[in-house]
Order: sequence, then C-alpha cells, then structure tokens
Amino acid sequence: MIPFNFTYCRPSTEKEAADAFAAHESEGKTPLYYAGGSEIITMCRTRSISPGCVIDIKNIPNLNLLSVDGNHLIIGTANTLTKICQSKLFPLLKLACGRIADHTNQCRITLGGNICGSIIYRETVLPLLLSDADITLFGPNGGRSASVESIFRRRLARNQNEMITQVRIPIWALDARHAHIKKTANEKIDYPLISVAALWKGETLRVAFSGLCSYPFRSKEIESVLNDRAKSIEERAQRASELLPEQAYNDSVASSEYRLFVLKNTLEKLLEGWENDSI
Amino acid sequence: MKKGDSAKILKSCDVVAEHSYHLPPLGHMAMEVRTAHAEISSDGGVFITSSSQSPYSIRKQISEAFLIPSGQIEVFVPFVGGAFGGKAPVMLEILAFLASRSVGGKPVRLTISREQDIATPPCHIGLEADIKIGATKDGKIQAAELIYRVDCGAYTDIAPYMAKAVATDCTGPYHIENLTCDVVCVYTNHTYATSFRSFAHDSYTFCIERTLDMLSEKCEIDQLEFRLRNIIRHGSQTPSRVAYTKSGMGDLSKCLNSVKSLSGWCGLNPTNIKKDTVRAKGVACIWKTENPPTDAISGALITFNPDGSLNLHTGVVEIGSNGATMLAQMLAEKLKIDADQVHIVSEVNTRTAPEHWKTVASLSEYMAGHAVMRAADDIVNQLRNIGAMALNRPNDEIEISHGRVFSNKNPERFITLKDLAQGYKSLSGESIGEPVLGRGGFMLKGLCLLNPETGEGKTGPQWTLGAQVVEVEADLKTLTYRIINASTVIDVGNAINPESIRAQIAGGMAMGISLSSREGFFYNENGVLSHPNFRSYKVMHIGQEPNYKVAFAETPDCTSPYGVRSFSEHGVIGMPAALGNALSLAFGKQLDTLPLTPENIWRTPTEDF
Repeated sequence: MIPFNFTYCRPSTEKEAADAFAAHESEGKTPLYYAGGSEIITMCRTRSISPGCVIDIKNIPNLNLLSVDGNHLIIGTANTLTKICQSKLFPLLKLACGRIADHTNQCRITLGGNICGSIIYRETVLPLLLSDADITLFGPNGGRSASVESIFRRRLARNQNEMITQVRIPIWALDARHAHIKKTANEKIDYPLISVAALWKGETLRVAFSGLCSYPFRSKEIESVLNDRAKSIEERAQRASELLPEQAYNDSVASSEYRLFVLKNTLEKLLEGWENDSI
Repeated sequence: MKKGDSAKILKSCDVVAEHSYHLPPLGHMAMEVRTAHAEISSDGGVFITSSSQSPYSIRKQISEAFLIPSGQIEVFVPFVGGAFGGKAPVMLEILAFLASRSVGGKPVRLTISREQDIATPPCHIGLEADIKIGATKDGKIQAAELIYRVDCGAYTDIAPYMAKAVATDCTGPYHIENLTCDVVCVYTNHTYATSFRSFAHDSYTFCIERTLDMLSEKCEIDQLEFRLRNIIRHGSQTPSRVAYTKSGMGDLSKCLNSVKSLSGWCGLNPTNIKKDTVRAKGVACIWKTENPPTDAISGALITFNPDGSLNLHTGVVEIGSNGATMLAQMLAEKLKIDADQVHIVSEVNTRTAPEHWKTVASLSEYMAGHAVMRAADDIVNQLRNIGAMALNRPNDEIEISHGRVFSNKNPERFITLKDLAQGYKSLSGESIGEPVLGRGGFMLKGLCLLNPETGEGKTGPQWTLGAQVVEVEADLKTLTYRIINASTVIDVGNAINPESIRAQIAGGMAMGISLSSREGFFYNENGVLSHPNFRSYKVMHIGQEPNYKVAFAETPDCTSPYGVRSFSEHGVIGMPAALGNALSLAFGKQLDTLPLTPENIWRTPTEDF
C-alpha cells in the first residue's frame, strides 16, 4: 500500500507534461515524471519518496516511437524493455534489456525509467554509451538534445523538471559486432555483480560496465588496454581491472575483491571470444 | 545427549574429521504475506480470521493473555497462501485483537507489507556447529562430539523446541554408539526464529553430512558406500535411545540403493566435461522424527449429505501439503467408496471443527488420519446397526461397500448409503435407526520428555528416512555452477497418493536448493536486515530448477493409518548438504557456510586433506 495521497496526471503531449510539472511544482507538490512505475511504486511503499504528484508520461506519442529513420534508430523512452527486445532493432540493447529484472517487470519497466531511475545499475545505458547515441530531453523551456556520452556522467545530468523523450542511435551500431555478459551473485534474475556490454566499431572494441562501480561507465583507458592485441588476454584483463574509475563496488551482493575476480574472468571470456571469433 | 564414552573412543579412532559450520537465518517467503482480522461483538465475542497454521493456538493465547473464556473466541482460517512453518506462531492476531479492542470492537484488518513480512515476523534459525566424528580405517563410525548453537534471535518463540529437535536427531540416521551432543539456544540481536519446513533438520544435516564426506574422503571410501556402512539398523539406537525397528523407521538402505541408481551415482571423483568444467554429485541422508507436545490431540467429525456423500470436518489447515485430500482418501478407502464422495470442509472454524493441535510437523496424516479412521469406524458401526435392522439380518453379516449396505449372505439385496445414512424409512413407512454422525478423537500416546542427563526419550510418533543426491556442473575457473539433477528417495511408508507426494517432495527440494544456493538474512553494522524485499532477497526462479527425480521406498509404519509416514517437509532436509557435498567435491574445497554462492566458494580456501 502507498500510505499517502498524491495527484495523478496523464498528459498527452510533452508540453502538457512539462506544464503540469511546473504547475504542481509551484504548488509545492514535488512532482515526478512517471512511466512504468516499478521503482516509484516500491519507493513510495517504503516511503523512501513521497511525491505529491505523479505525471504519467507513457501515453505521449513521441515517447512511444520505435523506428529506424534514415541514419538513426529512434526509441521513445516510454517503450518497455519487452517492446525493445521484441523489435530486435538493436541487438546489443536487446541483450541488455532481456537481462533486467524478470519478464513481468520487463513488460512494465521503460527505457526512460531504467536510464533515470535511482537504482545504480541502469544497464540500458551501456549500449547507448557505446553507440554514440544522442538523447532528447524536454522541460518547461522546451526540448534539447545531447550526446549520451556528454550528458551521462555517473547519472543522467538533467533537471528534475525535464523528462527524457527519445534516444537516437546511429545505425552503424545496429549490426555491429557485440557481446553482453552479465554476472549475478547466483540467481540469474538479479542485479548485476557486473554487466559488461561490448560493441566493436570496425576492429575497435568498446566496453562499458554496470555494477562494477557505483555507477555505469565507459572507460577509454580500459578500452585502449583491451585493444592492445599484442598483449596476452590475461595481461590485458589484469591491466584493465587496475584502471577502474573508483574502487569496485562493495555491497551485500558482493565484495569489491570478489567483483574484481569476476571482472577479470569476464574480460578474459570476452577477449577469448574475440580472439577465437566466437562472438 | 550422552551415550557411551565419545572422548575416549575418539582418541583411538583411525580417522577423525573435525569442522565448524556457520549458517545464516533466512525467511519463509510464503506467497501470501501474513494477515489477521479481529472484531469483538457487543456481547464480548471475539472473532479472529487469520492466515495461520495454528487456529487453536490463537484461541488459547488470546484466552490466556486477555482472560477471555475460550468459548467466547472464534477463530476462522480460510485457505492459506503458503506457510512453511512461518504461520505457526501467533503474532499479528494479538495485535489485531488489541487494535479492535481499542476502537470498541470494530473490525480491524492487519496485513503487513512484503518488506515487513520478511523483516519482522519470526524466521528460520541460524546455526553454528562444531562437529567431530571419528571412524575406523574401513569407514565404521565410532564416536561423535557435536555442539550446535541455535541462533534464535531476540525472542524464544519455539526455538528451544527446535534445539530439542536438533538434539533428538543430532547425528543423522547413523549408528553411533559413542555420542556427546550439546545444543544451545542463543539469544542474538537478530529477527526471532520459529519453525521452518523441516524444523531445523536442514541445518544440522548440512553440518553432519559435510563432515561425513570429509571422513569418507579420509577413508578413501565412496561417499554413498560410506553411508551404507553406517546407517541405522537393527541393534542401533537413535541419539535419544529409541531402538531401531523397520516399521518404526523404514528402510534407509533401500533408499540409498535406490537413489544410487536414480541419480546415476558414479562415486568418489568429479567427472571432467570440458576445459575447466566438471560434473560432481553429492549425497546426503535424512531423517526426522517429530517433537509435538506429548499430549497433542486431533479429531474428525463426519456428516452425511442426502445424496450419500460425506462431509469431513477436521482442524487441519490446508497449507498446500494436500493433507486434507489424503484424509479424504483414507475415509473413502475405509468406507469403500470413491474419494470424490468425500467433501472436505477445507476452511477451519474453531467453533465447529474438532481441535487439531497445529498443522505442523507433517503430522496431519498421522494424527488427523487416526481420528478419521476412528470416525470412520464409528460410522461403519452405526450403518451396520441400522442396516441389520433394516435388512432384518444379524449385525455381523452386514457389509458396506460401494455405497451399499447389504448382508454378505445375500449381496443382491441392498440399501444404498443415501437411504440409510439419515435413518431408514421402510416401505411400510416405519422409521429405523437414527441419522449417522461419525466422530473420532486422537491423542498422541507413548511420548515423553527427554531425560535431562542422557537425553533419553521418545519425542515423536514416527520417523521418516531418506537419501538425496544433487548433481552440479561446475566451472572451476569462475567458481560458478549449475544444478543439473536432484534426486530423492524417501521411505514414505505407503505412497497413498504418489503424484501428490512426489510434488510435495520436489517442492521441498526446490526450497532446499533455493535456500542453500541463494538465500540468507544478513544484517548491516546497525543491525538492520539488509534486503527485506524480493528485489534483492533472491529465491530460485522458474527456469533455473534442476531436473527433479523422486522415488519412494515403502515400508509401512504399522502404527499409522494405512502405514503412511510423514513426508511433507522432508524434501528440503538434505538438499543443502547434498549441494554442499557436490560443490565441495567439484571445487576441491571444504564448504562450510550457506548460501553456497560463487563468492562464498571463492572465499573458501582450497585445502588438502
């Protein structure tokens, strides 16, 4: 049960949504944009948050777009993980979405919710970081676009009153060589100890990680080590594991040291797959 | 528990295995959260509806705590959505009653959230153990010294009875002449503990069976063969000095031999599958007797419908173990009618259903089964009397079968049950006999408290023994694994409903695999439970289950209705141990904690024996 009252709005355009946000904010109602709701409902139940208003943006047509348009795949952020999987348009993103939560929740969780949520893993961000994707935001002052790389630093840098509406992925990434490896504590359907997403642009490997540190990241330093194919697989995996942007994450799911052990094994598996062309 | 001279004998053993274990507490995770409803009528009647395994305990506790005559209290239990022992304690009912009383008796419904249901009500015990077992070179166990510390959390609830249950069965089903065992119940700052499917047997079994594998390794004897050499048998006594009988305990060697072929047991060493990948099997033996109050009771009432079908009223709560169905089967068998002619009153109302101690300890078929048998005898006697009068034949000629009452001298002349059960009206209109109402009561007999010095005593009416094997495929590099097959053979006495029993045992196995591979309560530095939700407390999901293989041995218990033994909890007992043994073998490590996550395996040092 959600133990407090709140206002629910369901706008049908981005503008209506942004206006509703501004109006409720000025009334001191701490509004939230709401799509799948899986995280918001849980957090409301435990009273970690208590929004006075939720603005349900999942019926806005632009946020439900899912199509290839010239040079880009455009995905509206209200698309559920299931819809993205079923579209099969971006194989790496399909793999990432297919390993988030269970099927029931994949039918509810939206791309936007996963990117903006408070849970640290945000595994859908990894394919976006690797594919030079852009992201569109809309707020009271209208829309703006930015590359995911520039706007995603630990988490998406957006104003509370901005919703993300679409992501645009260059089409080269859709049929690029790729791999996705997710390791969990022991239950397959769980938060990641480590998720590694890999995408090759030409012959160059790009990698991004979730669960390894307290935020998802792509590391150019790690990539340059992993791409140094003159060195042995073990050496590259070892060297890469020394280049994390912060200490490996330590929580009740796994310790830092164990995450490093899993990281090295996972990178070795990835590099072996690359070497023997099984990826 | 004290038998023989364990200290002296251990010194002279050829091989001794000694190890300590640490198992965390964990949650029941029933699909339905706990809930209770209370209201108090203007004349002081108390009405409680609860999701409970123990309606009669609710009545008793409210009566005693609030000085309300128990006759004024009515407790109603509808279908329960999963319990696993976690709904045996009385908890929310008291709070709901207090809340209702504070608002003048208005109805109050108290349903707790999933997060509270995980963190607040009593949970599975934690356990620490120091196990020392000695054997001869040829693998005959000589002596054991066992210390178990039960983490009962902040309140006792029934944890001391679990400590007693651990003591009673502390060695596992083996012949050990020299034994010292202390079981200590320890208060901690954890969630308090209560019964959980198998009543602590899963926990101590892990410690014993892991140590037995160490011992068999030292003796260089196949793990399953090692157990066969040591199982309890004629001439053996249990730790509490109950002599082995085949009827009393069943045939464990049959279970072990059967599980050997069922699991494709191939012995001592892991099998290489490919680079860095092995398959390994682990075995564990299980047993369990019960620890009810020595005067626990049950009862059954049977009424007829005009169509000749029967209504069976008992105080057994249906918590998913299919107990009520088996009771109906027993009644139908006794009356020689189809089981679908017996209608089970599946909801329990303490005002109408005869008291049944609690729906725990897998004792429904034994205790309520006896009561049903007696009620059935009562009905048969009444039907014969009326039948004898109606047919004008001597009482001892009268038989009842297939819904007909007739004389065995002339079976072609019969009266149907429906014409007789409400009293008989002859063709001339004469009324004969009375309506038939069956009643049967049952009270456990022959049990006693344990002797404080030696631990001697019989605590439960039955034993159930069995053997389980888990097969894993292990990645030696990443220390991850997959559970491929899980096999169980239990001596169920008489499998009166094989498909239902198979499902119940496989369900227990799933629970055992889940709890030993993933689950556990862990508390942060402030003593707060770190993940009271299904997002982060993981139970095994569909799709990751092994192939379950279940078979039965059938050695009837001559004291039990139709020879049945209890089986509902038992599938869980040996799974943690068998999984621990399989993984220890696969990885060459002595695993001694749960859950058996790859990280815990990684943390365990590789040690040579």
